[in-house]
Amino acid sequence: MEAPPVTVMPVTGGTINMMEYLLQGSVLDQSLESLLHRLRGLCDNMEPESFADHELVYLLKGQQGNPFMLRARRSLLHPTAPWHLRYLGQPEVGDKSRHALVRNCVDVAASHSLPDFLNEMGFRMDHEFVAKGQVFRKGAMKVVVSKLLRVLASGNTENTEPMSLSYLVELSILAPAGQDTMSEDMRSFAEQLKPLVHLEKIDPKRLM
Amino acid sequence: MSGGPAVRVSMESQCERQVQEVSLDGLETYVPPLSMSQNLAKLAHREPWSQPEPEEDEGVWGVFYCGAAACALKFQPSLWPWDSVRNNLRSALTEMCVLHDVLSVLKDKKYMALDPVSQDPSTPQVFQLISKKKSLATAAQLLLKGAEKLTKSLAENQEQRRQRDFNSELLRLRSQWKLRKVGHKILGDLSYRSAGSLFPHHGTFEVIKNTDIDLDKKVPDNYCPLNVQIPSDLEGSAYIKVSIQKQSADIGDLGTVSLFRRQPKAKPGSQMWHLKLEAAQNVLLCKEIFAQLSREAVQIKSQIPHIVVKNQIISQPFPGLQLSISLCHSTGEKKIQRASPDKSKPDDHLYVLEHNLHQLIREFHKQTLSSVVMPHPASSPFGHKRLRLAGPMAYDKAEISSLQQSEGLLEKIIKQAKHIFLRSRTARTIDSLASRIEDPQIQAHWSNINSVYESSVKVLITSQGYEQICKSIQLQLNIGVEQIRVVHRDGRVITLSHQEQELQDFLLSQMSQHQVHAVQQLAKVMGWHVLSFSNHVGLGPIESIGNASAITVASPSGEHAISVRNGPESGCKVLVQFPRSQAKELLKSDVLQEGRWTHLRGPYREVHWGRMEGRNFVYKMELLMAALTPCP
Repeated sequence: MEAPPVTVMPVTGGTINMMEYLLQGSVLDQSLESLLHRLRGLCDNMEPESFADHELVYLLKGQQGNPFMLRARRSLLHPTAPWHLRYLGQPEVGDKSRHALVRNCVDVAASHSLPDFLNEMGFRMDHEFVAKGQVFRKGAMKVVVSKLLRVLASGNTENTEPMSLSYLVELSILAPAGQDTMSEDMRSFAEQLKPLVHLEKIDPKRLM
Repeated sequence: MSGGPAVRVSMESQCERQVQEVSLDGLETYVPPLSMSQNLAKLAHREPWSQPEPEEDEGVWGVFYCGAAACALKFQPSLWPWDSVRNNLRSALTEMCVLHDVLSVLKDKKYMALDPVSQDPSTPQVFQLISKKKSLATAAQLLLKGAEKLTKSLAENQEQRRQRDFNSELLRLRSQWKLRKVGHKILGDLSYRSAGSLFPHHGTFEVIKNTDIDLDKKVPDNYCPLNVQIPSDLEGSAYIKVSIQKQSADIGDLGTVSLFRRQPKAKPGSQMWHLKLEAAQNVLLCKEIFAQLSREAVQIKSQIPHIVVKNQIISQPFPGLQLSISLCHSTGEKKIQRASPDKSKPDDHLYVLEHNLHQLIREFHKQTLSSVVMPHPASSPFGHKRLRLAGPMAYDKAEISSLQQSEGLLEKIIKQAKHIFLRSRTARTIDSLASRIEDPQIQAHWSNINSVYESSVKVLITSQGYEQICKSIQLQLNIGVEQIRVVHRDGRVITLSHQEQELQDFLLSQMSQHQVHAVQQLAKVMGWHVLSFSNHVGLGPIESIGNASAITVASPSGEHAISVRNGPESGCKVLVQFPRSQAKELLKSDVLQEGRWTHLRGPYREVHWGRMEGRNFVYKMELLMAALTPCP
């Protein structure tokens, strides 16, 4: 029996070419309430949605170059929901006037056997953390206010301690490649949050 | 001068030399006086020699000479140093002597008298006037200044009140609409985007201060310090007109729907900006509805394609029928044309469907905002939570399509229009039959609780006066979108199409069956025996609608029998069977020996049913039965 034909051309359509536009900022714990009120007023009219997620970051160390990184995330509040696997590419070095960080993003839902699968593929878990907070939505924009907690014992998500005294605020849009109008909307939304939190594009390479 | 006791005058010389130091035993040491050359040098130093002014030269030289003379004078030994003192004293003595002499002369009061200085109390008139004028002027000045201050503060207050009115109005506006400040401008959002709409219109309005008000004139009643400026394409008012008409033969006048209804009266107490904003929001919603409908009309493949022309969508729910949905937007500039020919037609706008369209689009908005869409874990993209399982659970195409919304707005509204039309036509059919046919009577009980796609009605066919006896025909009609399902009392289920004729024929056939059933029930009551009964007889002329039914009943004594054949078209035929003894035309035959055979029923005779007494069929039948039952 012949093997079914496998195309060697790279996949270009569908969800492969999605770009993530990102702006990040942070607030101290004591200013969280006012920020949540502000977001409640600015964003779409819904009940605030809380979340608690456990994220594991996997690395595949090849012989050469940078290790390949994948992020696997599951919901602690909804244990039956599928896992979410995410690949984030390098930030696009476009013109400096672009207001948000743009990077290639691939999102895949996976079943609960994902950690075993990644281990079998050769990935090794680099670090893990728990994120708890709230998600807001305005049209296509997503605002995530989360507190990052360190997992003390690997695999045990009950025993956690906060990493800092502040909350991470992220404003992101997922859009197909080539649409640059999103960054304008993001910037005007970030302007409205201005005195409470300063959202700006933070290059991850500069932090390392 | 020589009289009187001597007076001691004590004097002391002025200390001309400065004290240099005072020793511990009180001895003072004086600064030694300057010699002549030193004194001259000091005087020379005092003069400004550098200023070359010719006229002062003499003065300078004069001073120099005086200074020199003064120094020279000081050291002349012939002059007594107490000379000036002696002169001063002598003049003082002279003065005192004069005073003494005057006083002694005055004592005698003969040659000199003293008069006190008169204190004049009354000042002259002119002086008083002037002083009063001055004081009044000062007072007036103060008052004027005060008045000026008051008027200024009043003007400020009014200005502040206007400002405060603007602010309080702005507060009221903010309590109902979303506002934000961008630079100097105050912008607002009247779109449905925060409620879940995905329409790309920005829906931004601007709040401006109303400054064209003259404070001197009276403030008009509807004055509002705040004005809103809405986008130009949302001005005026709009509504969606949904109507069902018979199919128009010509397509020429498509897209010219311009009927417009009067705007609803504004609620008293609501501000102008509120009305403006509400109207603009309504226009935006109507535009969104129409955009969604036209998009679906173009994309969805259906058997009969939908036509989208300008501001109208036309589709055919049933053959011969046309559903038109149009967006009527009037900017309010021109008056409603009186010469519009559409005015004569009755308003066939279906308000229910317009309301349903609004409801459907709001449902659609709510779906994008439901918490089902929110991502868990938080990093996953937005989307229905069950659809996220499609990958891990390996759903196939059928399962995925079952999860997704298959019906769009247009399909839903067409289904609703079809149902409304079918329901109204069913009602019309039943009503026309009820008004046309008196015997038997048809009653329709419509149920109060319906859905948008289904209604039900219970149809009873009865005879007047005999409702309790003859109630065998009861039909439950379930009117759906395209079909009518009839459930008979005896359990039969019949599906009728949307054709009007089918329902009418069916009801007529049921009515004819009812008559025969009624005879059956009547026979039970009257004590007659049913000999034969058939709902669908195969004998006799063929009916075009349904089938004829027949029944034969025999009297309690068995002597008479009645046969009834009733058909929807052929009407009813009633035959009565008499005993042989009453038949005149029967031939005597010698086969029958005994007399008892004459009691058997013999030939049939038809009844002239039309000339029978009685208001309806069952009544006539009852009379007939009663007539044929002899009194004991």
